[in-house]
Amino acid sequence: MDNDLQTQTMKRVQAILAEALQVPPDEISPQLAFGDLPQWDSMGHMEVIMRLEESFGIEVNADTIAGLTSVLVICSYLEEQGYVR
Amino acid sequence: MSAEILEIVSTLPIPEYLSGEVQSKLAYVDEAILQAQVTPGGERIRLSLAAAPDSEQRSRLEDKVQRVVASMVKGAIKLKVQVLEDHLDRPVPYALDPMEALLARKEVKPEAVGIFAVGPLLSRLIQFFEGLFLELADSFDAAPYRFPTLIPARYLERVNYFRAFPHSLSFVTHLRTDLDAIDHFAQHAACDEHGLNEPLTSFAGIETLLSPAVCYHLYFALADQPLPGGQVVATAVGTCFRYEAINLTSLERLWNFTMREVIFVGAKDFVLQSREIARQRMAAVFEKIGLAYRVESANDPFFIGEFRKQAAFQSAFQLKFEIRARLPFKESTLAVGSYNYHQDFFGRQLNITLPDGSPAHTGCVAFGLERMAFAFLAQYGLEPSGWPEFVRQALA
Repeated sequence: MDNDLQTQTMKRVQAILAEALQVPPDEISPQLAFGDLPQWDSMGHMEVIMRLEESFGIEVNADTIAGLTSVLVICSYLEEQGYVR
Repeated sequence: MSAEILEIVSTLPIPEYLSGEVQSKLAYVDEAILQAQVTPGGERIRLSLAAAPDSEQRSRLEDKVQRVVASMVKGAIKLKVQVLEDHLDRPVPYALDPMEALLARKEVKPEAVGIFAVGPLLSRLIQFFEGLFLELADSFDAAPYRFPTLIPARYLERVNYFRAFPHSLSFVTHLRTDLDAIDHFAQHAACDEHGLNEPLTSFAGIETLLSPAVCYHLYFALADQPLPGGQVVATAVGTCFRYEAINLTSLERLWNFTMREVIFVGAKDFVLQSREIARQRMAAVFEKIGLAYRVESANDPFFIGEFRKQAAFQSAFQLKFEIRARLPFKESTLAVGSYNYHQDFFGRQLNITLPDGSPAHTGCVAFGLERMAFAFLAQYGLEPSGWPEFVRQALA
């Protein structure tokens, strides 16, 4: 995967998280993980999952939900599954 | 009085895996509903009503039912059920509903909906099970606590309880400290079919509720300070209150019930390991008493607005496992206890910190004493001669 695409994915994911967690986009660093912000709690996490599903037209299964706990992991998951190309 | 049936076609088909959850929430839709059922296939909802609704009532009922369905079904994530233990096929000799025999023998006395007094047989059984749960607590050197039945409203507010479980709250008040109000009450208070006839203006504002759980009291006792020694194991028994409207039936679902909890507070690994050790120790206990049961992942009964996300989160992170005892008389199961992990939710909300300054993690194992006794009787009957040797000897 080329760097441009990775950067685009990262930006898109950061925007989705900012919207889902209702925080300014500059608070969503690539290293941000579940629990780092008070807004990224259980409810916030499920909001993130649902926004990802809507935005990428995907269905995240129950097994995966527990693993998508950082911005980097979310990006890797989307790329590995071929949801961004 | 015969019930009127109202069938509503659901705008969204209700998947089978959500059918029970939706049905349980329909109980809170309207006071006119005597019974609510999601039909097989999930396309319709059948309501039993006390009287035929006029067109306005009908429209209002339909709106509210569709709201419940939409909020629970739209975008729902199918929860994966993980089974940790399965002993449902353990042979048990009894197959009748013990409630009928308990009522006939006056072992239970219904006082009001969801409220029962229990007699000597049940009390002894409950005491026996309580002893087993205390042995579990002792095996962890759990410190004993006694907590109040009442809980301040601001406590529940601080842990987001109002948003998550508004439907099951039980409020406490008293007469306003006003001589005229007290005099008026003393002279005029009477009960009719709707309850006490006193106007709400006679009562003070609500600062206190009946406690819905035992462990919250411990978390508040530890709030806003570093955790002493870095970890705590505690145990307490308490009367808990969860209002469940028309879902309140027999000893299976009580408005007030007794819960014994063993509570773990500390680092993540400590809490998770303790929960797992507790499960393994209880598996040996349940084998000794011959209980037919299964331990499977579950979710708390969040209200409709929170249900979809919270339940999916609990399931995904394997936060809750229920001990579901078999009820042979209805080929169903009943949750008699649970193994819970709350991550660092209470640590963060209540500022309970570990030595490194990070929020503490919490977990608890909880046992419903009346349900435990009821499930045992449903499997073994009321005659001690039919009980497993271990139980019979302990109660001899």
